[in-house]
Amino acid sequence: MSNSSIVENLRKEIENFKAQIKVEKVGKVMEVFDGIAKVSGLSDIKSSEMVTFLNGETGVALNLEEDAVGVIILGDFSKIKEGDEVKATGRILEISVSNNILGRVVNAIGAPVDGKGVIKSEKTYPIEKVAPGVITRLSVDQPVATGIKVIDAIIPVGRGQRELIIGDRQTGKTALAIDAILNQKGQNMICVYVSIGQKDSKLRKLQARLEAGGAMAYTVIVNASASEAAALSYIAPYTGVSIAEYFMDQGKDVLIIYDDLSKHAVAYREISLLLRRPPGREAYPGDVFYLHSRLLERACRRNEKYGGGSITAFPIIETQAGDISAYIPTNVISITDGQIFLETDLFYKGIRPAVNVGSSVSRVGSSAQIKAMKKVAGTLKLDLAQFRELEAFSQFGSDLDESTKRQLERGKRAIEVLKQLQYAPIKTEHQVAVLYALTRGFMDDVPVNKIKEFEAGLTEYSEQNAKTFYKEVKEAKMWTDKGEVELKKVIEDFKNGWN
Amino acid sequence: MSTISNNDIAKAIYLASKDKSSTEMHQVHKKVVEFLTRKKFMSRVAVILEQLKKVINFENGIVSATVLSAHRVHEKEEKDLVHFLKKRYSAKEVELTYILDQSLIRGIRLEVNDEVIDLTVRNQINQLKEYLIRPA
Repeated sequence: MSNSSIVENLRKEIENFKAQIKVEKVGKVMEVFDGIAKVSGLSDIKSSEMVTFLNGETGVALNLEEDAVGVIILGDFSKIKEGDEVKATGRILEISVSNNILGRVVNAIGAPVDGKGVIKSEKTYPIEKVAPGVITRLSVDQPVATGIKVIDAIIPVGRGQRELIIGDRQTGKTALAIDAILNQKGQNMICVYVSIGQKDSKLRKLQARLEAGGAMAYTVIVNASASEAAALSYIAPYTGVSIAEYFMDQGKDVLIIYDDLSKHAVAYREISLLLRRPPGREAYPGDVFYLHSRLLERACRRNEKYGGGSITAFPIIETQAGDISAYIPTNVISITDGQIFLETDLFYKGIRPAVNVGSSVSRVGSSAQIKAMKKVAGTLKLDLAQFRELEAFSQFGSDLDESTKRQLERGKRAIEVLKQLQYAPIKTEHQVAVLYALTRGFMDDVPVNKIKEFEAGLTEYSEQNAKTFYKEVKEAKMWTDKGEVELKKVIEDFKNGWN
Repeated sequence: MSTISNNDIAKAIYLASKDKSSTEMHQVHKKVVEFLTRKKFMSRVAVILEQLKKVINFENGIVSATVLSAHRVHEKEEKDLVHFLKKRYSAKEVELTYILDQSLIRGIRLEVNDEVIDLTVRNQINQLKEYLIRPA
């Protein structure tokens, strides 16, 4: 662009500009500390309204008191001083949204932080919104294929469901969520990963993993890292769900992961205590339940009349020493439609994903499963339940009858089959074929330590040879007699060749 | 957190001293000081006094405005200003405080309580700056 055209453009822009004359509400900073500012004036301000400070930083009015306003500062508060002017904007906190946000990493206020330039956007969405009402909703009956056998088979998750992932540190909570994102490729699903108070190095690794798996094309990452102010951690999940709502409003299905809500509650506790709100149990403020319920209630499946689309939420909660009866875990358990419970003991026993099948539940249940999966998973659940019961019992004596022994052996194999490597989501058809072989007893004579090997071989062999079965499961979501006969024959052929 | 706000105290002082004779006023003042000492509110006196001034102004229909400008305001402009402020705030009386600030370049800026009407060139330049660097 030549100099003259720059000048010409500038001239045009200046000609188009019209200064606005308006009455503004202005306040003055009385105190600033730890990301909080007490501001005088601002008489007509609304709760959650954005304010701007003299140095350009944004804040949100949270506490409206008689002669002051408590503002949380979204950014660097070190340059704000006493006596600085604060302007009310008249707008509730909002973020810019557009389809260009896909594949990007943004901060808690929707601004890009991945160094890939500005995100052009055409719309803004408020970060706080009332969840869709009863009339607009539809019951959950479409599955989210997570690609994790134990989840898809035993704790199925439906589109629009809120399924909690709960467990101690280092039990593979994030890994489950990432696997679920990786498996959404080609499943017509947009993913939003909200990282709250996590290490930047962990997020960078995760982003690289998603990029390597080609998952960033349909994923947005919202990051409020551990080094940023608590205010940003507090608003990040709401920003994430607003981005999800933008896509849902286009009729799309969205999967959102909040990693993790315990840190979110801690950030909110920090802000509340600084704002001098009265502390309650574990020093959390009284409205910490509402904090999470209003967030998770925004996950829903909407009916076609109201635009369709869905938001499935995977909130994550980190427990301390397996204590799921602490304040925040019990709150979130009661809000969600089920939980996936991960255990340290199982993790170190080598059962990974370390899902405790007994304590995990999906309240939506099998209505969110395809028919074929329902058929194989029903027997699997029973096998595992019997195994758990007999396992404890069998410790006392070795004199067991044949049927008990058989059930124990089946259980051991079921546990072996449900083990899965990280970042290796499995297609639903493959899962159905393997679980079919397991539940129909085809694996009963395979040694337990060879199960994984057998499974891998069978998956490959059956995909090539049981084409009808695979096609039926993939397209009609259920096999016919013809497909079943074919699969049985293929499994037997494979077993004969394998031995 | 105190349960009595500065505003409450200021209003109470105003009501207690309203329509009182000078001897009675002396008693009221004494009691107010006693109350503030007893409740350990002496550190809040400056703010309470400021609030009291606001309460008195509000009750008497007085509007106190600050006028910031780069140059002295002419008499005619001052008249117009007073007229405008009386109309806008339905006030009986207007108190003006003038502050000269060269950085405003031209025009005036009116501050009444927490309301600001900025008609200065500096504000227009700032607005132009924001307009030119707005995201596409």
